[in-house]
Amino acid sequence: MATRFDYDDDSVVVIIGSGAGGGTLAQALARKGIDSVVLEAGKRYQMNDIENDEWEMFKKISWLDERITAGPRQLTDTFPGLPAWIVKAVGGSTIHWAGVSLRFQPHEFRSHSELGDIDGANLLDWPITYDELEPYYVKAERHMGVTGESTGMPYHQWNNNFKVLAAGAERVGYKQLRAGPMAINTEEYDERGRCMQAGFCMQGCRFGAKWSTMYTDIPRAEASGHCEVRPRSMALKIEHDDKGRATAVVYADGDGNTHRQRARAVCVAGNSIESPRLLLNSHSSMFPDGLANSSGQVGRNYMTHATSCIFGVMPKPVHMHRGTTFAGIISDEARQDLSRGFAGGYTLEVMSLGVPFFAKFMDPSNAGWGRDITTALDKYDHLSGVWICGEDLPMKENGISLHDTKKDQYGLPVPVVYKGDHPNDAKLRRHGEQQARRCYEAAGAERIFHVPDFPTSHNVGTNRMSERPEDGVVNQWGQAHDIDNLFVSDGSQFTSSGAENPTLTIVALALRQADHIAERMQRNEL
Amino acid sequence: MSHSHGASTLSRRRFLTLSGHSALLVGSVALGAGSLWPRWALAEPDLAAGLLRMGRDIYPHDDIADTYYLTPLEPLLESNRTLIADGLADLDRRAEDAHGRRYAEIEQEADRAALLRGIEDGDFFQTVRGTLVVGLYDNSALWEPYFGYEGSSWKQGGYLHRGFNDLVIDWL
Repeated sequence: MATRFDYDDDSVVVIIGSGAGGGTLAQALARKGIDSVVLEAGKRYQMNDIENDEWEMFKKISWLDERITAGPRQLTDTFPGLPAWIVKAVGGSTIHWAGVSLRFQPHEFRSHSELGDIDGANLLDWPITYDELEPYYVKAERHMGVTGESTGMPYHQWNNNFKVLAAGAERVGYKQLRAGPMAINTEEYDERGRCMQAGFCMQGCRFGAKWSTMYTDIPRAEASGHCEVRPRSMALKIEHDDKGRATAVVYADGDGNTHRQRARAVCVAGNSIESPRLLLNSHSSMFPDGLANSSGQVGRNYMTHATSCIFGVMPKPVHMHRGTTFAGIISDEARQDLSRGFAGGYTLEVMSLGVPFFAKFMDPSNAGWGRDITTALDKYDHLSGVWICGEDLPMKENGISLHDTKKDQYGLPVPVVYKGDHPNDAKLRRHGEQQARRCYEAAGAERIFHVPDFPTSHNVGTNRMSERPEDGVVNQWGQAHDIDNLFVSDGSQFTSSGAENPTLTIVALALRQADHIAERMQRNEL
Repeated sequence: MSHSHGASTLSRRRFLTLSGHSALLVGSVALGAGSLWPRWALAEPDLAAGLLRMGRDIYPHDDIADTYYLTPLEPLLESNRTLIADGLADLDRRAEDAHGRRYAEIEQEADRAALLRGIEDGDFFQTVRGTLVVGLYDNSALWEPYFGYEGSSWKQGGYLHRGFNDLVIDWL
C-alpha cells in the first residue's frame, strides 16, 4: 500500500524532481525515517516502456515543454526550442545519462584561488573542498554501483569503439585510458544485473544495469513508507510565511488541478533550467526578485560544459553501436595546465550514436545535406566517435531568464536559456578538437569530421554554492542563504563545471545534504 | 499536370478519385520501372518526381530505392500541400531560368544541388529535409542492410556475446 501524505501535513520534506538529486535525496531521507513528498513533473514509466529506439524514447521521455534557446551559439539556430536534452519522467535524467562517473578534481573546487580573476568570467571557489566531499564520493559510488575501487567491480571490457580511439590515443602519447569508472554494473550488484552491452544507455537501460533512480532509489523510498512520489505534478510556486520561511509548494497535477502541499522544508531538484525558473517564478512582495535571490545569482552562471564531437571513418567496420554508449575515458587532458593556453581541462569520452540520431546530429545546420553528409552515413558501420567534455567558465550573462510575454501550459513564463562561449571555452574546445583529430589520424582514419553541439545534457551552475551570501544562492549544504528551510539539491548548485560529467557529484552532494538535513532536524533547527 | 491553384487546393484523396491512374501514367515523367512507388506517386507524377528528385539530392544514397524516399515524403502533400506545391513550382521556375528545363529534368546532380543551395534556408526546403532526415534514417528496414546498424538489441541479450569487442585492429 503506497504511503499517502495529507496536503496539510507540514511535517514532510517536499522534494521537487526525482532524478539524480531529488531521487537520491528522497531515498537517503527515507532511510533515516524522514518523510518526503516528491513532486515529479513527468510520468512514471516501467522497465518494459524502455525501448532500444532513439526517436521513440526521445519522444517518450524528453522534456519537451516550450523553452527558448538563446545566445551566440549554433544551437540557437539549430535547436531553437530545445536547448537541453533532459528528461521529464520519474527518475529524471538518470534514465538518459551515460553512466560516466568521474569525481571532480581537487583544484576544480577552488577555481578562483587557482586562477584569480579572469576577464568576463564569474569565477568563485566552492565553499567545500574535495577532501570534505571525498567520503561522499565513496558513498555515492557504492550507492550507484560505480565500477572501480569503491565497489570492487571491474571496469568494462573495451568495446570496439574505444579500441579504435585508444589505439590512436596511445600513439599520441596518452596514458590515462580507462573503460570506467561507470555506474554500469559489470557484475551483479545491488540486486541489479550486469551490463549486456545493449548499446542504448541514453534511451534508458532496459536491463537496469545502469544506475537510475527510476528503478533504485525511487521504488525503495516508496517501499520504506516514508516517501510518496506524485508523478505528473508540476511545481508552480514555493510559498513562504511572513518570517520568510518556506511553507508549501503549489503544483498542478496531470489533470491541471492545482494543489498546495505544505512542507517542513523544500528541496528543489528540477535540473538547472527548471530549478532557477521555479525560484524566479516564486517571487513575492518580500522577495520581489524571486526566492533565495538576494545575491541576484539565481539563474546566472549557467554552464553546459565546453563540448564538441569528432568522428573518424575507419578502414574496417567498427560497429560503434555495439556496447555502452560512452564506453571509454581519456583523462590526460583533464588536468589544469595553463601552458596549453587555457584554464581548466577536458575529458575525452568515446561515444556512439545510432543511425537515426547520427543523421539528425551530424550537421543540423541548414546547409547540412548532400554528399558530404551521406558519404559519411554510407560508412556508418566504420565510424568511431569521441565527445569532448570540457570545463566551461561561469559567466553572469549566461543563464535562465523568464520570457516577458510567452507562457507555457501552466501559465508560467517560458524559460529563455542563454549561453555563449567565454574566450577560454572556445580555446579549450579547439584544443580538444585538435587532439581528438590527432587521435583518429593516428588510428588510421580515412576521414575525420566534426559534429556540432547537440542540445545539452549537462546543465549546471544556475543556483550556485558560495561561502558568502552575496556571491551565490546556496551555502555548502545546498541550503539557500536567504531561507533556512529551502534547499537546492541538483546540479544547479555547482560553482564550477569541472571537466567531468556531473551526475556522480550531484549524487554525492545529495547524500551529504541528506545527512545535514537529518542532523538539523535532530537538533530541532528544521 | 500543372501546379495550378485549383490543383493545389484539391485534397489529395479527392484528386486521386478525380484523376484515375492510367491516364496520368501515360507520358508521365521518370517513373522508374521496377521500383515500388506508392499509389499517390503514380497519381501525381509531377509532384512525386519533383519531391523524389529533391529527396534524393538532399540525402543521396545511390543504392536506396525510391520508395524509401517517397513513403516518408508522401504525408507532406496532405499536411503541407501548398508549401510543397508552391515550393516545387518555385524550384521549377529557378530551374527553367538557369537551365531551360524543370528541376527534376536537370541531368547533372551538381546543377540541381546548386539550385537547392539557393533555397536551403527556406521553409519549403527545410520542411522536406526535416521530414526526410527522420523518415529515411529512422526506417529500420534500411538499417542493417544498408548502413550496418543493427538497431534494437535487448531481445537478443545485447551485444555481450554478439561482437561488442570483436574488432581486431590490423590496419596500423
